Amino acid sequence: MTAPLPSSERADRLLAEMRDDLARGALPAAIFGDEEIYRLELERIFARAWVYLGHESEIAARGDYVVRRIGEDPFILVRGEDGVVRAFFDACRHRGVQVCRADSGNTSHFRCPYHGWTYSTTGQLVGAPLWRSAFGNMDKASNGLATPAKLASYRGLVFATLDPNAPPLTDYLGGMAWYVDLLFGLNENGLEVIGPPQRFVIDANWKSPAENFAGDDYHLGTLHRSVWAVGAFPVPFKTNMMGYHIQASPGHSLSFSIAPDENDPGPKFFGFPEDLARTFGTKLISPEQLEVARRSRVMVGTIFPNLSILALPLTEDGAHHPPTAIVTLRTWQPRGVGHIEIWNWFLAWRHATPAQKERTYRAGLGTFSMGGSFEMDDTEPWITVSRTGRSTFARVANFKLNYQMGLPGVGVAKRVPDWKGPGICYWPRFEEGVQRNFYRFYLDFMQANGTYPRTRFDG
Amino acid sequence: MTGQAVRIGGELWCEVAEWLYREAELLDGGRERDWLAMVSRDVVYQVPVRQTVERARGSGFLEETFHLDERYGSLESRVKRNETEFAWAEDPPSRVRHFVTNIRVARLTDGDVEVRSNLLLYRTRGDNTVPQLLAGERHDVLTRVNGALLLRRRVVRLDVTAIGTHNLAMIF
Repeated sequence: MTAPLPSSERADRLLAEMRDDLARGALPAAIFGDEEIYRLELERIFARAWVYLGHESEIAARGDYVVRRIGEDPFILVRGEDGVVRAFFDACRHRGVQVCRADSGNTSHFRCPYHGWTYSTTGQLVGAPLWRSAFGNMDKASNGLATPAKLASYRGLVFATLDPNAPPLTDYLGGMAWYVDLLFGLNENGLEVIGPPQRFVIDANWKSPAENFAGDDYHLGTLHRSVWAVGAFPVPFKTNMMGYHIQASPGHSLSFSIAPDENDPGPKFFGFPEDLARTFGTKLISPEQLEVARRSRVMVGTIFPNLSILALPLTEDGAHHPPTAIVTLRTWQPRGVGHIEIWNWFLAWRHATPAQKERTYRAGLGTFSMGGSFEMDDTEPWITVSRTGRSTFARVANFKLNYQMGLPGVGVAKRVPDWKGPGICYWPRFEEGVQRNFYRFYLDFMQANGTYPRTRFDG
Repeated sequence: MTGQAVRIGGELWCEVAEWLYREAELLDGGRERDWLAMVSRDVVYQVPVRQTVERARGSGFLEETFHLDERYGSLESRVKRNETEFAWAEDPPSRVRHFVTNIRVARLTDGDVEVRSNLLLYRTRGDNTVPQLLAGERHDVLTRVNGALLLRRRVVRLDVTAIGTHNLAMIF
């Protein structure tokens, strides 16, 4: 990074104290509402981490594009006329005007509406009106659309980073890749998005849902109690707490609800229909990964900072349709300290039947979207976490929140010594180490001072 | 509209307007279970996702991607959920008011009634003084069963692309 990082004495003091707090399972509430902290997050996290932009199936054809955000900034994700996927900062090199004015589409070029500078889908400046008179002899090559420092794709998931010193995406994902594979690599046909994303703006801080999807299973018993009343989810609360909490690598955490043995009568492979599950195998993944997937009822995880993945069996209408696996990807895109734009995609196997695709889509819409039986309750607590975070009390009284579950001596969770996958694994899911892992990496970025945070656990 | 338009103020138009106002009264009063009695068992109730696109590409509504895509069973499940003690999203409930205007009515050849109306949904909660507002156009089809009109199809075409409410627990 060439520009000096902004700093704030008060915010940096809060972060220094947070490091000590976190080790004993406490978190200052102010990080959910402090304007200065938020400004630093945009500079120190969103301008440096690998941030998710979209799925390759959203831009399948040459010229397909979607507009996405890194932090609050707009980037065009486009498959160029050469078939290569690239991202461009959505600003003309001439005066900084937005060059892409639709949310998605297919195009041969991007033209600035101000003076007509026109760019190809590979980002090259190709012309402007009366070019010879206006700009003759000016170098076109150095006036193409600006790009993020790096862009890379993993199993169809496209990420970009604004930091030229960021490690390769696979290093950044580290152990998390093993778990992404465990879902996305079950069949070589792969998953694809079902249509463009839903978008909602709610009055909350982006970290609340990100940490929730890192493995907050405990909230189901209270906040989501209604879903059992309507038969939306087949695994009872207490049973569903059985499973693994995994800190896959720094920042990236996830959680599995797991049947105790393979003969358990409950859902397998996240509830995918049996004839789909029969197509799952070890072409792309190991027998160990396949075995975890087979026993999994729920997989939920967050790739730091703001991409979450969820797969589980649900139904929007328990009286008429049995639960089936839904897969959702979502980003928690910050729009100010107290606002999040939630982008929500549902995914289906490419080789699923049309009927299976419709069923998983309807089940997903009726549960994990803003009108869904699960998610409509989720926004409630996140809104008031944000209110607590921006309170004067949080600041003057140094109000701390409790993240102690699963610390030594707190609850029953124990480290799994012979865990086959990467990372640090606990059983059962009465555990908040997954959230502490998220916030440790958060601090690593917020206090990085120009170096790049370590993407492997020490030792 | 595809049907034979009827005169504003005519008998059928008045019957439909009364139906819409009755529906709004039930929804504003939180009487979702009573509202279900106005809904046909084969109902399709959808709120499509919209995107911002260039004028030449039309209104930006997607055919196959939705915010809500409900049938009678899922609507009943929503109503049932809200009757539990744990539906935190709307307990305490938001205050919702449906403003229904620009009612247009047409007869379809199969006897059903095609209805379009503009909807302004005004919603507050807690001690909010700034309301959540959602505006859109409803495309309904009403069907007559034993003399009474029932909602058979509703497509709510919202004006926004990103929805600025904390949930979509309300019925449009």
